[in-house]
Amino acid sequence: MAMTARQRAKVSLYVQAGIFVVAVAALILATDWKTIGTSVFNFGKIGPMFPDIFLSGLKNTLIYTALGFIVGLSGGLLLALMKLSSFPLYRWIATGYIEFFRGIPALLVFIAFGYGVPLAFGVQWNVTVVVMISLGMVAAAYIAETLRAGLQAVPRGQLEAARSLGMPQWRAMVSIVIPQAFRIVLPPLTNEVILLTKDSSLIYVLGLTASQYELTKFGRDGISSLGAGLTPLLVAGAFYLVITIPLSLLARKFESRSARTKR
Amino acid sequence: MNDVVHPSDTAGTRGSAVHAAGVSLKDLRKSYGTNEVLKGISLDVAPGEVVCLIGPSGSGKSTLLRCVNLLEKPNEGTIHVGGFEATDPDVDIDKMRRKVGMVFQQFNLFPHLNALQNCTIAQTKVLKRGQAEADKVAHANLERVGLGHLADRFPDQLSGGQQQRVAIARALSMDPELMLFDEPTSALDPETVGDVLSVMRNLAKEGMTMLVVTHEMGFAREVADRVVFMDGGVVVEEGVAEQVISAPTQSRTKEFLKRVLDPTHIDISK
Repeated sequence: MAMTARQRAKVSLYVQAGIFVVAVAALILATDWKTIGTSVFNFGKIGPMFPDIFLSGLKNTLIYTALGFIVGLSGGLLLALMKLSSFPLYRWIATGYIEFFRGIPALLVFIAFGYGVPLAFGVQWNVTVVVMISLGMVAAAYIAETLRAGLQAVPRGQLEAARSLGMPQWRAMVSIVIPQAFRIVLPPLTNEVILLTKDSSLIYVLGLTASQYELTKFGRDGISSLGAGLTPLLVAGAFYLVITIPLSLLARKFESRSARTKR
Repeated sequence: MNDVVHPSDTAGTRGSAVHAAGVSLKDLRKSYGTNEVLKGISLDVAPGEVVCLIGPSGSGKSTLLRCVNLLEKPNEGTIHVGGFEATDPDVDIDKMRRKVGMVFQQFNLFPHLNALQNCTIAQTKVLKRGQAEADKVAHANLERVGLGHLADRFPDQLSGGQQQRVAIARALSMDPELMLFDEPTSALDPETVGDVLSVMRNLAKEGMTMLVVTHEMGFAREVADRVVFMDGGVVVEEGVAEQVISAPTQSRTKEFLKRVLDPTHIDISK
């Protein structure tokens, strides 16, 4: 029996929906709800997490992310300008840095600056400094590439017009090119902040006091102290979404705005 | 080349409201790789003179114009602008460029600044004028190009012709002694070309030195003191505007003008 194209599409859609329903049902039947209820969704026992999850966990995650972003943005801008420099040595240094820090796990950077560098130079760094440097240096490598693309997306005529008005190169960059580049990179830069927020959890490899706990460490601590299984970690995860989803929406808003002004 | 009218013969007839600078190019050569775009060009523009550069695309006229304020670096030859030798390796390029206004085919207005700010940013950052004085100068120049009422508009809220007039006001706000125009009307809708040309005509009347790359033969004939026809990286013919456009002596000039003045002309005799 021959079917029309429209009938075939309809049947195909029903089959896909059917497979989805069966898969979900199988998953529900296979789940050990009794165990899950005590060790993952045990929300009755998480009361003691509040209000400290706001006062230390959420607060520290935001602080660590912000510090990492400030260092990452300044470092990234410097690296991006170096990479676009006409002086080869600057380009090589920037390329080497970017490839190195993008190529190794961020965890190793935390260990290096948390234990290796302080040992090597006999210095004592507090946790905030280690986070700022580790997170910032990794972020700088990623942000540099984003900014470089943004700087290159500003039409050549903008620099020529600025130089024609008698502006020196640095002034033309500061007043004309960089402000336009930042508008272009606002959406991808917001995504960098999201990645940074999650990377701030890597601080768990350092020895922390309770007041230094950020969300993930706070959740892990809850696992051992509350007897609610993994539930505290689930709560911590939800708090990450509270930060990242608004950022994600913000990035989308920037995107639609720049699409509109471009005409 | 001997029958060229000396620049000062024609320049004296106009007003001298602005302090004007002259330009002198000698044996200018410019290559991109093996492609020689300028093959030894010499050209003098007297203070207050208006010279139009005409010629087919690829003839090197835009490159020549861009060499004058060093947006392109010539390989050989010398360039004098006002009291500066642009080709001196020790020249302060930024200081020289303040005297030279440049108007681009694509306007190149700063899109993150409104019309007024486009005209003030270089005044405050380069000439170190105070904000109030810069605003005053900018307003005066926007009035001069007929756009005083659109000072707070951003470039994407202006038509092409309006954008180009803001670009002219931006250049004028630096009190230049020489204005370079690189095909200022080529990217415009036909109905806005006239506004830009009339701004340029007024500027010429005020005694500004102008070097204009253009395809507008009517403008060249009416406003230019001299017309220079370039082809293949050399000056083929130059002289009084009326003479070059109405009675060219070189066959390449005749051929070019025939095509430009009558675009629908198709020579089927060949």
